[in-house]
Amino acid sequence: MIDAEERALMSESVRGALADAVENGDDVDATLAKLDWLEMLRDEPDDAIGIVFSALGWTNGAATALDDVLAAALGREPRPDLAVLLPPFAEWEAPGRVAGGELRAEGLGTARAAGAHELLVVCETDSGPRATVVPAAVTEIRRLNGVDPDCGLHAVRFETSATDLVSVDGALALARGRRAVAHQIEGACRRMLDLARGHALEREQFGGPIARFQAVRHKLAEAFVATEALEAALDAARDDPGPETAALAKAVAGRTQRTVTRHAQQVLAGIGFTTEHSFHRYLKRTMVLEGLFGSADAIVRDVGRRLLAGREVPTLIEL
Amino acid sequence: MSSSPSGSHLPEPSAPLPDYRAQLNAWLDVNHEVLAPRYPAPGTLDEHVAQMQRVKSLLHEAGWMQYGWPECVGGRGGSPMLRTELGAALAARDLADPGLFSLIEVLAPTLIDFAPPELAAEVVPQLLSGAEMWCQGFSEPDAGSDLASLRCRATPRDGDAATASEWMINGQKVWTSLAQYSQRCVLLTRTGPLDSRHRGITAFFVDMDTPGISVRPIEMINGEQEFAEVFFDDVVVPADRILGEPGGGWAVAMSILPYERSSCFWQRIAYLYTRLQRLVDVAPDDERSAEAVGEAYVQLFALRARSRATQHRLAQTGTIGAETSIDKVLVATTEQTVFDAVRRLLPGRVELDDGDAGELWRNEYLYSRAATIYGGTGEVQRNIIARRLLELGDEA
Repeated sequence: MIDAEERALMSESVRGALADAVENGDDVDATLAKLDWLEMLRDEPDDAIGIVFSALGWTNGAATALDDVLAAALGREPRPDLAVLLPPFAEWEAPGRVAGGELRAEGLGTARAAGAHELLVVCETDSGPRATVVPAAVTEIRRLNGVDPDCGLHAVRFETSATDLVSVDGALALARGRRAVAHQIEGACRRMLDLARGHALEREQFGGPIARFQAVRHKLAEAFVATEALEAALDAARDDPGPETAALAKAVAGRTQRTVTRHAQQVLAGIGFTTEHSFHRYLKRTMVLEGLFGSADAIVRDVGRRLLAGREVPTLIEL
Repeated sequence: MSSSPSGSHLPEPSAPLPDYRAQLNAWLDVNHEVLAPRYPAPGTLDEHVAQMQRVKSLLHEAGWMQYGWPECVGGRGGSPMLRTELGAALAARDLADPGLFSLIEVLAPTLIDFAPPELAAEVVPQLLSGAEMWCQGFSEPDAGSDLASLRCRATPRDGDAATASEWMINGQKVWTSLAQYSQRCVLLTRTGPLDSRHRGITAFFVDMDTPGISVRPIEMINGEQEFAEVFFDDVVVPADRILGEPGGGWAVAMSILPYERSSCFWQRIAYLYTRLQRLVDVAPDDERSAEAVGEAYVQLFALRARSRATQHRLAQTGTIGAETSIDKVLVATTEQTVFDAVRRLLPGRVELDDGDAGELWRNEYLYSRAATIYGGTGEVQRNIIARRLLELGDEA
């Protein structure tokens, strides 16, 4: 774990580099490689995920770093030609199933899945989670434009013989994936809040900036409270990493996304409803991110079911 | 059953927090029977107050109450977080009402920071040991959210503000929690011109048995009389009971914020976890429950994470400020989410049940409605966030 000061410095430099890359239309993955992203991920995975994905959220950069996070958590050396199959939208179960020697899988892939030589797939089996690498040639892959064509997601499915299944820590991969996506949502929420705040201070109506009006101020305050709470939840999930804290942080991210997009869009009003203002990119990106590794609604229900099943409410974090 | 707690090997005040927590909890386990309330739940306010004072006295005798308080007031020293751990452990075990117990955090530091040292050394141990209760006379009928408009007047009886040996107080306070149980009051008075706002305020430490003070408890919507109106009619207070400087009362009032927004909140959060646990103990095992319980748990996690970060920041930098309005908004909304879940999942329990469980849930559900009102309303917090944190400039 690195200290807070070092983390702040790294966050600033990564964010700056990614912002430049996005502005110049450079490849964001190549920029991350220049920043020694894979070394950071190997040495300090919990810090690296926070720093890089928060910056991706803030800059709206489209990268495939999520494949690296998952590959590393699944015990593989991350490399640009190895993609990882993500669970289907709004779900988090392993995307693969093994039955009668056959492996069937269906899920999502980042932009990397379209060009990689191999795909790493986690499957649920009777004896726990297993993973295997399949050649890209066996997969059927289709680009998903959806609400945010720039995010690079693909629908992936295939059937092949189940060979070389290796036992993996599926819970670790899920936890890291959730934290990564939640950090990306956090970065985007900060940016949306920033855009709405800037607009409220510049936009003049009734003889002055609309930031004078309490109705506007309280919406921005509400969005800020939610974003700060999300950051605290993510810090707690970084300091006490585990499946539970990551799931809770992802649920907080989904709730925060809802609060921030609603209030920021209302404050931005007409201009925020156009593609001439950048708000729509963050709105659309976070709508997609909310569904990766389980929506907040689904996680909230799952967490609640577990509490009721065990009749136990653990406090999880201590002073 | 023994009536006094069994002895223990107390940790060093410099012990790491997890070690202190473990030893404290071990001691509380061993002494649970001695410490537990002796009345059937939910109990009355009189019973809660008596229970808290009894627990404080047992903890003081055993040495636990002294952790985190400076040696100049009889404490053992160490980080204030030790106090927070104690309060949270008591709340988690339902040994003391966190709202009542955590009042120590908004009263004792005021005396330590602003009273003449010999006064603080004399009275703070009385508060910690459960020998005394104190109250906080801040709000007035015309000074609620706008505290700086307070009017309760203090005038020098002889000479001027600098030379007077005695002051005379006239006026009224309201929403003074536990005034009818208290021996002392930390009182804010107007000593400057009426329009002097926060500059013309002076704080006093007043004995509640001083002639001219009368207390009229007010019944809250849950039927309890936790707060009161307090009237001051020619009440004479010696000048050595001024806290801080004459005219320096606003600084005294504001100094409470860091403790209220850190330790008190952590204790409140521990209590909210116990109430969600109680709900989870009895809620039907269905999808509606899963949603409501899950939602409250997710909010509690974010709140607890935020509060932990705030306390570590306070411990590291020695100060916290306007950013704690965020903690206040979160703690208030989460409390209401927890009790909203109770009403949703246990239909009729709050509204109609005359049994003990009904009494408890009804009382606490109704109390939770005040969470967005006391200690600065939700609207005032959002105003502070907008102006100080988001820097949105002046309001229209």
